[in-house]
Amino acid sequence: MITMKRYIISRLHFWAFSLLILSSCVHHPDVPSSSTEVKSLPAIFPDYCDVTVPSNIAPLNFMLPANEYSECVARITTPDGKQQTYGSGVKVQFPESDWHDMLDVSKGSSIKVELWGKKKDQWLSFTPFEFRIAEQPIDEYVSYRLIEPSYVAWTFMEIAQRNVTSFEETQIFNNEITSNDRQKGQCVNCHSYQNYKTDNMLFHVRLSNSGTIIVNDGKISKVNLKRDYTISSGVYPSWHPTEKLVAFSTDITRQAFHTAHPNKIEVYDEASDVILYDVEKDSVSVVSNDPDLLEVYPSWSPDGKYLYYCKTVPLPEELRHLDIRSFYSKLQYNLYRRSFDLTSHQFGDEELVYDAASEDKSATLPRVSPDGRYLLFARGQYGCFHIRHSDGDVACMPLEGDDRSERDMTNLNSEGFADSYPTWSSNGHWIMCSSRRGDSNFSRIYISYFNNGKVEKAFMLPQEDPDHNAYRLKCYNRPEFMVEPVKHTVEEFSRVFDK
Amino acid sequence: MLLYACLLTFISFVAAILFFNREVLYTAHERSEYLYGSPFFHTLLSKPFGLMQYVGGWLTQFFYVPAVGGSILAAIWALIFFVGMKAFRLQGSAVALMILPVACLLTSIVDLGYWIYIFTVRGYWFSQSVAYLLMLLLLWVARSTTSRDWHFVWYLIGICLYPVLGWFSLLFVLCLALSDKISWRELLAIVFVFFTAHICRTLLYSNLKIDDVVMAGLPKFENPSDKSDYLSAPFWILGVVSILISLFGRHLAKRFVPIVSAILGILFTVLFMYSDRNYIDEMRMVRSAEKDNWKEVIDIVSENPNPTVSMIMLKNIALMNEGGLLDRSFKMNNIDFNICNPDSLHVSFLEIAAPVAYYHYGMLNEAIRLNFENAIQAGFSPIYLKMLSRCALATGDAKLLQRYTNLLHHHPFYRHWNPLMPTHAVSELRNAFPDELTGVENSDSYIVNSISMWNKSESKVASEQALFYSMIRRDSRRFWASLRNFVNLHQGEQFPVHAQEAYIMYTDKAPEAKRMMLPVEQSVLDRYKSFWTSLESCARNGLKPDQIEEEMRPSFGDTYWYYNIFGKRRY
Repeated sequence: MITMKRYIISRLHFWAFSLLILSSCVHHPDVPSSSTEVKSLPAIFPDYCDVTVPSNIAPLNFMLPANEYSECVARITTPDGKQQTYGSGVKVQFPESDWHDMLDVSKGSSIKVELWGKKKDQWLSFTPFEFRIAEQPIDEYVSYRLIEPSYVAWTFMEIAQRNVTSFEETQIFNNEITSNDRQKGQCVNCHSYQNYKTDNMLFHVRLSNSGTIIVNDGKISKVNLKRDYTISSGVYPSWHPTEKLVAFSTDITRQAFHTAHPNKIEVYDEASDVILYDVEKDSVSVVSNDPDLLEVYPSWSPDGKYLYYCKTVPLPEELRHLDIRSFYSKLQYNLYRRSFDLTSHQFGDEELVYDAASEDKSATLPRVSPDGRYLLFARGQYGCFHIRHSDGDVACMPLEGDDRSERDMTNLNSEGFADSYPTWSSNGHWIMCSSRRGDSNFSRIYISYFNNGKVEKAFMLPQEDPDHNAYRLKCYNRPEFMVEPVKHTVEEFSRVFDK
Repeated sequence: MLLYACLLTFISFVAAILFFNREVLYTAHERSEYLYGSPFFHTLLSKPFGLMQYVGGWLTQFFYVPAVGGSILAAIWALIFFVGMKAFRLQGSAVALMILPVACLLTSIVDLGYWIYIFTVRGYWFSQSVAYLLMLLLLWVARSTTSRDWHFVWYLIGICLYPVLGWFSLLFVLCLALSDKISWRELLAIVFVFFTAHICRTLLYSNLKIDDVVMAGLPKFENPSDKSDYLSAPFWILGVVSILISLFGRHLAKRFVPIVSAILGILFTVLFMYSDRNYIDEMRMVRSAEKDNWKEVIDIVSENPNPTVSMIMLKNIALMNEGGLLDRSFKMNNIDFNICNPDSLHVSFLEIAAPVAYYHYGMLNEAIRLNFENAIQAGFSPIYLKMLSRCALATGDAKLLQRYTNLLHHHPFYRHWNPLMPTHAVSELRNAFPDELTGVENSDSYIVNSISMWNKSESKVASEQALFYSMIRRDSRRFWASLRNFVNLHQGEQFPVHAQEAYIMYTDKAPEAKRMMLPVEQSVLDRYKSFWTSLESCARNGLKPDQIEEEMRPSFGDTYWYYNIFGKRRY
């Protein structure tokens, strides 16, 4: 019923908008009778030339630069030999039903795209490209926080979920509905799900009306994770894949601003530990709290037998008592793990998984692939917040087998822009990350096909209107895959604040 | 005849008020968010009254040329007058009653004052007028096409239109219900009015707070640090006046009505209108500074005897670009006057002019940050998009520049807009200071304190600024360090008059152990002695500090010493 209501509202908005801008007509233009051949791929936005995409992805709508071209025509050829043309103005937007029919007949094969662009009254034909359609589908939903690339101020923010097989985006929660103190404001963040499902999930609400919202077997509650013996309430979470346990880091996080450096912002922890929260017992135990070192970003292995996390390397004695702002660029994190006994809930000894500092690097945000064979993580020269560092990239190392060399992630990463927050789809064939490659400021979601350690060219999460990416002045934070939508409404979540 | 005379008087008054507020209207377009594309549209449409805000935001763009935007607004008000006349079935002299709703809408345009810099209501400038016009049209259609027995259909339509017209749909139902004899249907409709918002929230807006759905569209003036109730008064009065006209309008075809309506309308607007010279001059200066028109910036401030801190800061940037900062700045007064602010709003230099100032001082990271901080709260309006474009151009972020200019190019008056190239000063200053990590430095004094520390820079422009701002801070330690650097970098050049004045004063009052020996003009030295003699004389005569300040202003108001002694702001 609720989903239906959301659907109706979103459709109403859609149709109102469509009527207003008169842009929703499906158009099958004729291929230009004559054109000049350009021996290069077209500069389409988003860049979908020769990408490998899931067999259930939403239409890969794209456009030619509006300041150079006035019209375009795309001729699509599917493996069964059928052809159809699309294009209206400089945009190519596929009707969803046409698109999914094309995907169905192209699974494991390719869709050929021939593109013509009209520039100063002359038609140009570009080198054809392909959409390669993988056999493997992608998880139907992703969720992310939408927020301006803010510094200190913010107003409206939301955690949203997107059906990636269509263009439907709905709110999971927003920071206005329960905010009761205008001066403090309210921040919502760090959504996390157990094993890609949403019956057990959580997110935080900070400042006014604060707490951690936990959904336990579909029942919503608000809890306070701060204890006398922890430095803060829970911050970065990771649900155990099978048990009702959540590993959190506890952090005293600070933000500072560069006066001249292009990275502009530094986010760092003054203190951080790792804790384990038992959802059923509402109890908190400490996993790792070295007083001299910073532990952060816990992440369970898919079998639940290891907890991965990041920890700084010891600093030289002379730096230890200085203001952290004077040595923030010396803080480097390595990746560690501890074994976990599912019956006794006891952790084993700490093992070093990846010694980033020995390479003068810092590694964060570990994520083990669903088959347990690979470890994804973000990496930069220093620090723990690589989404703000232009050298931030996603790295992948095998956890088993003879060849332990890092996998080539060039196809996923961008050159000179921050790429961070990597995550796996539930079938392990799709890697998603948040990247500022578009313009160094507004992060967008990029997805790459992963098969046997090989990564294909990343593509941007498609939007109904390709211009949407240019006009939305928000960042996509913390993208997470889900196999199902969050079933509770914003209002249902808001009710736990009244209790 | 009397009716027409009154109408003509009121029309002239409206035209005069809009003309007088032309700078406010221009600033309204600059500070009003209207973004092309589906994200902005969907964001507004997800809230009741959002469509009206969208239309209002679109129309506000026409204030780029205040005469055009003002004419559109006046045309809407003329339609309101005409349609209202029909909708309320006013005849004879009673038609003059429609002056009152127009006066309320006019007042709401000119009473904002410094709220213009911080309020967050999208499409404010037109949405209320457009929605009120639609409400009157509905009323006219309802009353002229259906008999009273069928009005319940219109009550339902009115309630269903709440997501579009917000509180005006409720006003429509009330006006229709009260326009004739009340029966059980009218009573039911009035009762329904109280539940409409709750029904709409349950059915359509369950992800919004109930406060954001009740009386949707009625502008609320509140942000995290400020709240104003009186700015909502014109809208409440508009509602009450509309209901009273519905009830009694047809009985008021009296001779006195046009005169009383015109006088009441004019008085109401004049009483509520925000009028302050600095308020307008600040807007003019920001507008000129955006175009790098420094001569005009200097002209405006030269004619203003009581400049605010924003005006002083822009004046000093203008002098940096035009030349002669250390010869002219104190002659043009650096003692700032507080902004005239009846609400005690938290509006300062930071909201008014700081993003422009940061940019021109080459502090691009700060400029970008402050633009974002302000835009996130008040909307990505043209002023912030233009400034962010300039910053992106200066830092070489081509893709970012394209994003911002692409958004601006959908604005009817910015189709061919491109940012000006960074000035020599911006290019030189942005490389004149080392990178540091700072905290949240949101204070008026941040610029002054930061620049006064650029005393090790090898840039001539930076050394001049460091010297100037160490003088502004009255900081002898930074002054000596800055002066030493300035003299090294400006060898063979004339020693500026204000620097001489400061040199004499600090040599006298705060000398360094290792003194610098610099040549000073005899006339400056003589005047310095005269300054102290005069000061001592005033003190001996028992004058209070404020009286001494006034007494000495004609003779010494153009000197650094006068600023140093009588300037009240401490950085």
